[in-house]
Amino acid sequence: MRSKSERPNPLFRNLNAKIASIPMVLTALVVFVGGTAWTMLYSFTNSKLLPRLKFVGLDQYERLWSTPRWLVSIENLFIYGILSLIFSLVIGFLLAAMLDQKIRFENAFRTIFLYPFALSFIVTGLVWQWLLNPDFGVQHVVRSLGWESFTFNPLYDRQIVIYGVLIAALWQGTGLVMCLMLAGLRSIDEDIWKAARVDGIPTWRTYLFIIIPMMRAVFVTTLVIIASSIVRVYDLVVAQTSGGPGIASEVPAKYVYDYMFLGQNLGQGFAASTMMLLSVVIVIVPWAYLEFGRRRR
Amino acid sequence: MMDDQIKAVAGAPISDPGGPRGPKPRRALSRRNIILYGTLFVAAVYYLLPLYVMVVTSLKGMPEIRLGHIFAPPMEITFEPWVKAWGKACTGLNCDGLSRGFWNSVRITIPSVLLSIAVASVNGYALANWRFKGAEIFFTILIVGAFIPYQVMLYPIVIILREIGIYGTLTGLVLVHCIFGMPILTLLFRNYFASLPDELFRAARVDGAGFWGIYLRIMLPMSLPIFVVAVIIQTTGIWNDFLFGVVYTRPDTYPMTVQLNNIVNAVQGVKEYNVNMAATLITGLVPLIVYFVSGKLFVRGIAAGAVKG
Amino acid sequence: MTSEVSAKTSVSVQDLSLNFGMVSVLKSLNLDIAEGEFVVLLGPSGCGKSTLLNCIAGLLDISDGRIFIKGRNVTWEEPANRGIGMVFQSYALYPQMTVEKNLSFGLRVAGVPKDEIARRIARAAEILQIEPLLQRKPAALSGGQRQRVAIGRALVRDVDVFLFDEPLSNLDAKLRSELRVEIKLLHRRLKNTMIYVTHDQIEAMTLADRIAVMRGGEIQQFDAPSAIYNRPVNRFVAGFLGSPGMNFLEGRIENDQGGWRFAVDGISIPLATYAFERQPEPGPATFGVRPEHVALNSGEDWPFSMTATVEVVEPMGSDTLVWLLVAGQKFSVRVSAERAPAAGDTVSIGFDPMRASLFDGKTDRRI
Repeated sequence: MRSKSERPNPLFRNLNAKIASIPMVLTALVVFVGGTAWTMLYSFTNSKLLPRLKFVGLDQYERLWSTPRWLVSIENLFIYGILSLIFSLVIGFLLAAMLDQKIRFENAFRTIFLYPFALSFIVTGLVWQWLLNPDFGVQHVVRSLGWESFTFNPLYDRQIVIYGVLIAALWQGTGLVMCLMLAGLRSIDEDIWKAARVDGIPTWRTYLFIIIPMMRAVFVTTLVIIASSIVRVYDLVVAQTSGGPGIASEVPAKYVYDYMFLGQNLGQGFAASTMMLLSVVIVIVPWAYLEFGRRRR
Repeated sequence: MMDDQIKAVAGAPISDPGGPRGPKPRRALSRRNIILYGTLFVAAVYYLLPLYVMVVTSLKGMPEIRLGHIFAPPMEITFEPWVKAWGKACTGLNCDGLSRGFWNSVRITIPSVLLSIAVASVNGYALANWRFKGAEIFFTILIVGAFIPYQVMLYPIVIILREIGIYGTLTGLVLVHCIFGMPILTLLFRNYFASLPDELFRAARVDGAGFWGIYLRIMLPMSLPIFVVAVIIQTTGIWNDFLFGVVYTRPDTYPMTVQLNNIVNAVQGVKEYNVNMAATLITGLVPLIVYFVSGKLFVRGIAAGAVKG
Repeated sequence: MTSEVSAKTSVSVQDLSLNFGMVSVLKSLNLDIAEGEFVVLLGPSGCGKSTLLNCIAGLLDISDGRIFIKGRNVTWEEPANRGIGMVFQSYALYPQMTVEKNLSFGLRVAGVPKDEIARRIARAAEILQIEPLLQRKPAALSGGQRQRVAIGRALVRDVDVFLFDEPLSNLDAKLRSELRVEIKLLHRRLKNTMIYVTHDQIEAMTLADRIAVMRGGEIQQFDAPSAIYNRPVNRFVAGFLGSPGMNFLEGRIENDQGGWRFAVDGISIPLATYAFERQPEPGPATFGVRPEHVALNSGEDWPFSMTATVEVVEPMGSDTLVWLLVAGQKFSVRVSAERAPAAGDTVSIGFDPMRASLFDGKTDRRI
């Protein structure tokens, strides 16, 4: 007869599994939760070279939002982000739709569109820096073809430098969007296409009014992926423009690094990275609520 | 004569005995095809151009580059830029080329890939087959954590690494890569193991096998494809990383990407564009080779990694 | 004669062939379907029935041959210009649109005036009884409702020919038999030509005016259901229709002084009452007779009768299937449940060869 004291302690059930999950638990708690909380906490201090627990309220944030460099970074992120999103989705979808047309050499085309994704942002940034070089790159070539007054000098023009970064980013990232869209297109029941053909609906209308609405989930997933990588843009800017000319192509991620590790101003770095977190939360939380909140209902 | 022809095709309602027959005539050069293949071709040029320019520039001598024909193939091929990029290019501090960064990257990538995959696969297996209280919560935190911008966690990790004493070493960077690789890899493995038939697992438990026994003898042998996908994702991601490389290393432990940036951007004076391009190409070569060799598996890796929940 | 045919022929397929690379999927098919006829394309998986339907619809490009719809050569026409409406196995309703939008989308694109669209939708909704569903989305409909909407989408096109590609295969058995009756009633009301693809012989037998039995890309027999059932043109058709299947005995036909006989293993069946298609010749042959055409212990006089031992008895509810050994080969007889014998009993069976089928031993064609 078993007495109560002999029942095994639930803590020891699945002990091996629990031990094996220690890395995940540690990471989740210490790094993700703990690290984030720590940074947010210290953003309210005036840490300089080393973290110092001296609270100064919202001082760091006030300074942040009155620094031109930060304001330029935010503005750049906006422009870059929105354009990147729109163009990635449009170009990616168009490429996918074209590849879906049962064409020859589909594999070859897909390999060509996707290979930039395998490269580092540093590589991408440097090669486009060279291509956009005013003396040797695109501008020079077009001029030497006869259009003497052609000007395309993003790397030295404050107004359009962010577009130079955009071109490089699209070159690297649209391949991924294309792959996701293609997978979505391929999952559409072929009978829908047949029905539309019998109904006499032209191809472009079929895409616009039937197929794309059916791919809502794919678009949302892709959007989330693009958005989360937009906020992190750093390597590309460092390589292609180093934030220049001047501060014209600064981005928040670079602001964080420069102040945290080069400018000996940890407090500013913490405040800036907390702002970055906030911007992600603003995008992710509504999406998560829509996706998962609805399911539970 | 016509009547005979008509009667021969029995029972046919005749509107036009010589009318359309067989496959619809399709001109290979139809408007649709021209637009389709034309656009794809133009797009392909846009995507291939930078690679072409990289290769071509890296094989020219500086005098030829100064002539300014960036798209023209080299009149005289020279491998000198490559040699220089590898062994003699100067970063701010020393002049022994990219080779140092290359070996650093190798020493960072291989352990990181092995360790992160080992940990994440066991984690994914535990989550999929041995659900225990609280597991889902930690996993959710992990996944949510994947969306947090790395910048927020940079400094706390610096402190942690300093305390352990590995800040600035290759080991420290390996640990960082493991930590940040965990969310996506654990998700990948968890989904994969969850998709394997339950009966295998239950039969093994009935046979008396334990946690590690089932993992090593049953799960692992069946998981080759997903391991390959994980290796592809991690190798590409870690080799291409820059942020962690620049934060958590010292000049003698810089990975290739950091060194590359220093060689090209941090150098004053005369820019040697051909050496720069050679260096860029060398850095991009490893992930490119992984890409071309892995083919369809690379695409599967993206799809798997991109599907978050 | 030809003009008479053209007026009454709704769909005509001539020498239609379809090749996928080296594989010949449809082999020089010929088919004439009269106006208002309900034709079923029946056959096992891979026989080409769906492929043929898709060719008639214009969704597949053919390798050779011609297709006529209402006297017009539509071989190179787009599906929308062929005067057809189509219903798919997976319904293929546009998921993000309401039922009403599903029905009207094609018409709106074609520029049909709004009041005409409304009139057609109202008519289709009334015929198919889907009026209360018009504002719902497909996800909120049951399988049967979705199928009715799919039929409705073909109805509003105001066409002469309806094509059905295994429309009931996704439904459960009960729903299938309900909708089967509705389709039959629909045909009687609308009187349109309908071409229907299925692998289910019950659907074929109950719905069709004529059935085209297909196999390996060829039409085996194109005839009324009763003709296909009672006078199958080859062994494949004989075995494909009917459940439980026809009994086959492998033997020889011979001619002795008493006339033609079928001989197998000590049994000799007189063929005096059998209606030969052509002049018979002695040689190997297969003798086929359906289980329901064989009488058990009936006490009557049959042109052929014999005794046998019951091996297995399978009660099926209202009927029972009795398995015997005849000439060493398995043989089944269908009896009503009350008159069923027990296993091991010795029974007498009898039948009239008039109801039977004879197939040539080498070509499998009907003799």
